[in-house]
Amino acid sequence: MTLSPTLLLDVVVGGFTTGGIYALVALGLNLQYGLMRVLNVAHGEFLMLGAYVTFSLHTGWGVNPLLTLLITGPTAFAVGLVLHRLLYAPLLAGEAAESLESRSLLLSFGLMFVLQNAALLIWSADLKGYSYLAIPLRWLGTVFPANRVLAAAIALALGVAFYLYLRYSLTGKAVRALMQEPEGAQLVGIQTSRIHGLCFGAGIAMSAVTGSLVSMLFELTPFMGLPYTVTALVVVILGGLGNMLGCLLAGLLLGLVETAGVYLASSDIRLISSYAVLSLILILKPSGLFGR
Amino acid sequence: MTLRRRQFLKAAAVGAAAVPLLRTRARAQAKPVRIGYTLSATGPYAVGAGITQAPNYTLWQEQVNAKGGLAVKGEGRRMVEFVSIDDRSEIETAVRFYEKLATDDKVDLLLPPWGSAMNFAIAPVATKYGYPMIGPTAISGKFKELALPYFYTMLVQPAPQMQAVAAMLKDLRDQGKIKKAAVAYVNDLFGIELNTATGPAFKAAGLEVVDTKSYPLGAKDLSPVLRGFKDAGADVFIGLTYPPDNILATTQAKEVDWNPAVFFTGVGTAFPFYRDRFKGAEGVMGIAGWNPKVKFAGAKDYFDAHVKKHQKEPDRWASAFAYASLQILERCVGEIGLDRPKIKAMLDATEFQTVAGPIKFTKGENVATPGIVGQWQKNEFELLWPKSWATGAAVVPKPAWA
Repeated sequence: MTLSPTLLLDVVVGGFTTGGIYALVALGLNLQYGLMRVLNVAHGEFLMLGAYVTFSLHTGWGVNPLLTLLITGPTAFAVGLVLHRLLYAPLLAGEAAESLESRSLLLSFGLMFVLQNAALLIWSADLKGYSYLAIPLRWLGTVFPANRVLAAAIALALGVAFYLYLRYSLTGKAVRALMQEPEGAQLVGIQTSRIHGLCFGAGIAMSAVTGSLVSMLFELTPFMGLPYTVTALVVVILGGLGNMLGCLLAGLLLGLVETAGVYLASSDIRLISSYAVLSLILILKPSGLFGR
Repeated sequence: MTLRRRQFLKAAAVGAAAVPLLRTRARAQAKPVRIGYTLSATGPYAVGAGITQAPNYTLWQEQVNAKGGLAVKGEGRRMVEFVSIDDRSEIETAVRFYEKLATDDKVDLLLPPWGSAMNFAIAPVATKYGYPMIGPTAISGKFKELALPYFYTMLVQPAPQMQAVAAMLKDLRDQGKIKKAAVAYVNDLFGIELNTATGPAFKAAGLEVVDTKSYPLGAKDLSPVLRGFKDAGADVFIGLTYPPDNILATTQAKEVDWNPAVFFTGVGTAFPFYRDRFKGAEGVMGIAGWNPKVKFAGAKDYFDAHVKKHQKEPDRWASAFAYASLQILERCVGEIGLDRPKIKAMLDATEFQTVAGPIKFTKGENVATPGIVGQWQKNEFELLWPKSWATGAAVVPKPAWA
């Protein structure tokens, strides 16, 4: 296959559409893990729930899938706050860091099973889905699926907006301070538990919003979440733990590498290429591409 | 004290007298026929198991018990009791449970789990303990190679299935309606075997294949594959797919603006869900086995009963075969009882009439059903090929995507 400009455009746009989704879902996980050292294995399950809620609202009441973001996002944020208060705050209080990671891991595994089975009861295991903007978008002599481009653009916009918020707002600065120097941050009067709750909620909200976007593209099953959790972990490791900009860029990079592999070789190479990148980074720069 | 003692003695006497009474009553109400199986209620196999197999098991149980139970030769009717768990789509969980069913629970009969890979793992267990098992959702030429005497497959296997597709395409090409085919297959036992069968079948039919591409299970983007086929000028798409990638390929074909004259996909096309998902899916072809229009006895009643009990239609491929496998077992038990080696002997020797048509096993493979191609036309999956089974004529080129 020759490397024509059209092919290059296909790869770049395809890579960005995949990568934008990866970046947003990874950002949520990174926020939780980077700040609290809480590895939320149930991260993808919130994506699944967001997808189902959008599906139900769209097919049941005819709500525009994009408008449902305004419902899934805030709801998931509130759910995150409650979950943090009920489950994670007691766990985080007065525990040594070593036992914290393993306990939070167990907790989120439990959460994963509960959420999967709840979804199974509500929506059953049948494949569910709908078509939204499933129309070709012609640009520079090639064709793109309109819904994918739109979903990725929204995901990227949200990701960048969140990054800027962390960078420039007071709350954002407090979050970064807590990540860099937890004890020092507490010394200058940053309220750890409040920030923890907010970040946990925000992480879950990002996962749910990604789910709403993903529901426009793929079929839903109660078990769709786990692959996204795994991809998000890969992206977080690539970008560096707790590094939000790195996370955004790593998501895009992973999307590009996978798409290039698919176009230039075969679809079978998708997973191989993404894990090859991960292995390379782990060998050459274990702290992540953009890690300190 | 004495009073209490007397009361106790009285109660004991009544109790002792009641024991034989209870026993006889228990004997009169014969103990149930216990049938064991696992199906995936969770995990990746849950979709297929929940559409094709589980509804038929419960429908059949309800129908049989409503008649007063399963007729067992020489014993009258006995209620059917299922012993089952969710295998969570984990093969080792299923294997362990089947071992337990055979050795610990000592159930009377076994029913198969869902899917080729699961059946592959369970078939040797069934054979080891001498339980005849009829798999309605197992496709693989390897079953024949394994030659497990107690395992039977209902569905048409890869070679005859793809020969039917090839024969239909040859017919269409001779009419000048199609020219070039392109094949995409899922990189999993099912896709690989069907693709292996496609090569020789298409070659024998003299069909031109311009491109063949594989993709992994769980693929998230098939547009590069589809665009490649479109650019190569293919007007026949053969997708040897599983349900999620089937939906993806169909969605994306529309997105990349490709509407080939023949659009054929694998597992999932025959699900009513697929039709509803794509606004009728008018003109899409796929592997078929059955629809409520077939002329076999009980077919329409089965369809209606399924809809009534589950509020959803059976699929147009394997559902009826899942139900038919239970009809076959029912007949065997009615004619020879629960002696499993004798059931096996009857399975080997008899041609059965079922809602899915005649079924005859030769070396464990159902040879009475041909490879069938279907096409969604006005909300029904019409059978197109072979001509002797057809309920409708092929619409080619396929209409534009809805």
